[in-house]
Amino acid sequence: MEKKKTYVEDIDRGIYDVKNEVRYSYKSEKGLTAKIVEEISKTKNEPQWMTDFRLKSLEIYNKKPIPTWGADLSELDIENIVTYIKPDTEMKHSWEDVPEDIKKTFDLLGIPQAERASLAGVGAQYDSEVVYHNMREDLAKQGVIYTDMETAIKDYEEIVKDYFMKLVPPNDHKFAALHGAVWSGGSFVYVPEGVNVDIPLQSYFRLNAPGAGQFEHTLIIVEKGANLHFIEGCSAPKHSVINLHAGCVELFVKEDARLRYSTIENWSRNMYNLNTKRAVVDRNGIIEWVSGSFGSRVSMLYPMSILRGEGAKSEFTGITFASKGQYLDTGTKVVHAAPYTTSSVNSKSISKGGGHAFYRGLLRVAPNAHNCKSTVSCESLMLDNESRSDTLPIIELNNDNIDIGHEAKIGRISDEAIFYLMSRGISEEEAKAMIVRGFVEPISKELPLEYAVEMNNLIKLELEGAIG
Amino acid sequence: MANKLLTITNLTTKVEDKEILKGLNLEVNKGEIHVIMGPNGAGKSTLAYTLMGHPRYEVVEGDILWEDEIINELSPDERAKKGIFLSFQHPEEIPGITVENFLRTAKAAITEKNQSILAFNKLLREKAQLLSIDEKYLSRYLNEGFSGGEKKKNEILQMAVLEPKLAILDETDSGLDVDAIKIVAEGVKKIKEEETAIIIITHHNKILDYLKPDVVHVLLEGKVVKTGDMTLAREIEASGYEELKNQFSIK
Amino acid sequence: MYNLEMINTIKNYPDWVKEYRKEKLKNFNEASIPSWKRINIGEITLPEYRDYYKSFIKPTKKQEGVYIEETIKGLNDFNNFNKLNNLNNLNKYLSVEESYGVSDKFVAFGEALFNSGFLIKIDRKTKAEEIIKMKYTLDEANPLVIDHNIIVGEEDSEVTVVIDYSSDDGGNSQVFHNGITKVFAKDGAKINIIKIQRLNNKAINLDSNITFIGRDAQVNWVLIDIGGEINVVNYISNLEGVESQSNLKSIYLGDGESKQDLSYTMNHKGMRSLSKIEARGALKDNAKKVFRGNLDFKKGSRRSKGDEAEYVLLLDKNVRSHSIPVLFSHEDDVEGNHAASAGQIDANQLFYLMSRGLKEKEAKKLIVEASFSHILDDIPDLELREVVDAEIHRRLVYV
Repeated sequence: MEKKKTYVEDIDRGIYDVKNEVRYSYKSEKGLTAKIVEEISKTKNEPQWMTDFRLKSLEIYNKKPIPTWGADLSELDIENIVTYIKPDTEMKHSWEDVPEDIKKTFDLLGIPQAERASLAGVGAQYDSEVVYHNMREDLAKQGVIYTDMETAIKDYEEIVKDYFMKLVPPNDHKFAALHGAVWSGGSFVYVPEGVNVDIPLQSYFRLNAPGAGQFEHTLIIVEKGANLHFIEGCSAPKHSVINLHAGCVELFVKEDARLRYSTIENWSRNMYNLNTKRAVVDRNGIIEWVSGSFGSRVSMLYPMSILRGEGAKSEFTGITFASKGQYLDTGTKVVHAAPYTTSSVNSKSISKGGGHAFYRGLLRVAPNAHNCKSTVSCESLMLDNESRSDTLPIIELNNDNIDIGHEAKIGRISDEAIFYLMSRGISEEEAKAMIVRGFVEPISKELPLEYAVEMNNLIKLELEGAIG
Repeated sequence: MANKLLTITNLTTKVEDKEILKGLNLEVNKGEIHVIMGPNGAGKSTLAYTLMGHPRYEVVEGDILWEDEIINELSPDERAKKGIFLSFQHPEEIPGITVENFLRTAKAAITEKNQSILAFNKLLREKAQLLSIDEKYLSRYLNEGFSGGEKKKNEILQMAVLEPKLAILDETDSGLDVDAIKIVAEGVKKIKEEETAIIIITHHNKILDYLKPDVVHVLLEGKVVKTGDMTLAREIEASGYEELKNQFSIK
Repeated sequence: MYNLEMINTIKNYPDWVKEYRKEKLKNFNEASIPSWKRINIGEITLPEYRDYYKSFIKPTKKQEGVYIEETIKGLNDFNNFNKLNNLNNLNKYLSVEESYGVSDKFVAFGEALFNSGFLIKIDRKTKAEEIIKMKYTLDEANPLVIDHNIIVGEEDSEVTVVIDYSSDDGGNSQVFHNGITKVFAKDGAKINIIKIQRLNNKAINLDSNITFIGRDAQVNWVLIDIGGEINVVNYISNLEGVESQSNLKSIYLGDGESKQDLSYTMNHKGMRSLSKIEARGALKDNAKKVFRGNLDFKKGSRRSKGDEAEYVLLLDKNVRSHSIPVLFSHEDDVEGNHAASAGQIDANQLFYLMSRGLKEKEAKKLIVEASFSHILDDIPDLELREVVDAEIHRRLVYV
């Protein structure tokens, strides 16, 4: 039997690497000035408050330093990234109208199939604008709004104005400011009180132009007693120029509401993924994060839950797989800001082939947040000794009436476990693969089937490089 | 001889530079039940691991002959395919893999035939019933959070499914109460085919009340020093190993 | 500002010691006082320089191959000391290449201005028969201890050292301790150090420790931090040799307005090295603490294992407890574990004890003491153990 090759680059990334010719109607100048920001706003026909917001964000951006902790961002030349690219297509509502080459890429990514698999709606973003968008009718009848952010500003201006970048203000950090200045595209979801969206809403974001940054904004509001599962999937083709992703996700979970936000990120291996995701949860509301980080060259990603209502709850389930050339700095932040709030964190990471997985987490309990409970578990699996794995959890407890448990583990696959499986007739390679599959099982079981399959395929591809 | 299954001659093994087995001889024929007794540190578990091919146990001398083929160098999975089974003293916990899924994979590997999910699950449930194992354990993760007794029962379930020619039960009775020993031992009896050979490694005689051994061996300092029948086991139960140790001048 | 002329004994020193102190003083002046994050220690007022006149080495029976000397005397008469005690190249023990300790500023402070401290050296294959005991007592007349300690265990030697810092003048004077301890365990050596800090509630305690551990050698720490208003301690163990070992057990008790910054690092460098950190604490009143536990598996530390655990009991609603337990790994064939728990006293335990007739306060006190007891059991000096027990008991009275 032919041996599989060892490194990630040798793995056929197949459908993830189909590249289209770049054909755009509008391309902004390199570098970022007030003029460019104004132009972006003008092209989008935005209201004045949004133009002002962008300009204010740009000011903050120019003042803020690049963060010195975490990833090395010295190779990230923001001035050189074309910040705004409008695809050569207008909004389409039926699949037939989508241009053939874009369709081909989406076909390969499985989007229409996913829709046929009775997903509620697909908002697929091609570069900065949403090119394809559809929604199940009965959801619309219940008052559920699912549209792109540009449309949302026009049609639901008052709602957007109340929430937009209120949770992640531009002065949060440099890349939040950048996002505020140049954001483009993204999804807007509004679920009215008491509505249960029983099928996951799904969105694909994708980068395709060399040197293009992507700054999509996702704003989701789940009103009192409502329920939603939103899936964000990312898969981008490879490029030689450094790419930056500085998106922003703001989630508002109201009283008794529940939101599950699932992501599988598989950015191409030249991407700097500096995404900011945050949820605020009211009384007895629930936020559930399911987060898989596989791609990108550098990721700094720490979805944050602010539990501000009594009895609010957050659950974070995450898997990070760092292979050759990747530095994936991921984790989660939880702030218990009210009494009787609970949180759980279950994070797993795998590093191989020289990859560096870094778990960075924060758990903060405010002085008034009594009777809080939190459990944190971080497990790291190292598949070889070229790789690195680090765990840095910060725990800040500011009152006594709490119950906190934390555990972390770093290690490799145990020889005894391999022997046990082999003693039952299973080959060494399969035994290792089984153990890794078992390791990520708690995450894959949280994903919808087609995503779980995609994730398992990703892991299989990665492992076939690792084992042998 | 057509009946011959396992012949061990002059087996000497090392674990991390320490010699444990020192010229051990043993012969097991098809269908026979053997018992290996011995004090702690005599090399009982080492024998079990060596037969299963644990990479840390290095054979420095002697041979393991399996149906007239020397298997000293075979990997554990190849030995499993030949029909050797080890019931572990401390079964590993493997999170994330269900018992069901694991056993189907193992069965497919050993038989080199794909196992249809439906047919296999039916078989698995039958075997589980035979051993009074609750069905819910089949969809739990392999040994994770199982009690000592549940782990041991799970080992016997694996034996039932994989249908080995030789099962080595390494202290399968240790840590079990009398009722559990009965369930496990009777389970073994139920699944044992005419030709299945068994090596029982034990400290106690309780399990032997259910599984009547044909041959009893006493292992001391890495060697079989005495072989007999059930009477030998009774003697040891009554008077311990001291007399034998003195006889073979071992301190 | 400080100058070397403040040190009364300075004129007796050989030139090289003057040079050494001068250079360190320069480092001190150049470094800035750190703003310890998280527990808002604020500006630390540096104390006026004072000599420390008390004797602090408890006499032991003379033993061949066991050398104990005050650092100041040892350096003053270095040539003689060197010849007598065969402590070769003392210089390499005086300055450590890597940055360590609570901050560069306070390490330089200690190295430039030390007014006390000891040198211990145990010869090859020698086991110190007696426990070596140090006792620093701070009071109004002697409010400043800057001790510079060096412990060298040559190949296959063994020694146990107990260091006790206390202030026994009713706890009213503003005392200041800035310590440096460097420990060198050569191949096969075994060094046990028990450090007890039971200073008064106004005390500032800054303590920097660094350890180098050779092949098959081990350094074990038992650390009891139950005093001080500001307590900043830093321990770094470098597990350099194959199968080197380090165990660190720590008890901390924060009360009143106390602020503690505790940092414990295990750098695994040698193969099959073994480390363990176990911290048990209790916080009451307005106490603040940050625990930083670092397990760092460097390249080459294959088949090493490190465990760290921190358990803290939170006894009042105004306490602040921060924990940053870090695992770093450059090797796959290692095992690193961390566990932490924080919370109030277990209600069931409390109920159980109260059902046996104990008052709530007594029961709580008992539970806190119980959680400390197996670490306290490692104090080899019974008398001292009793003193520590009593001090913990006293501080817990107002639970």
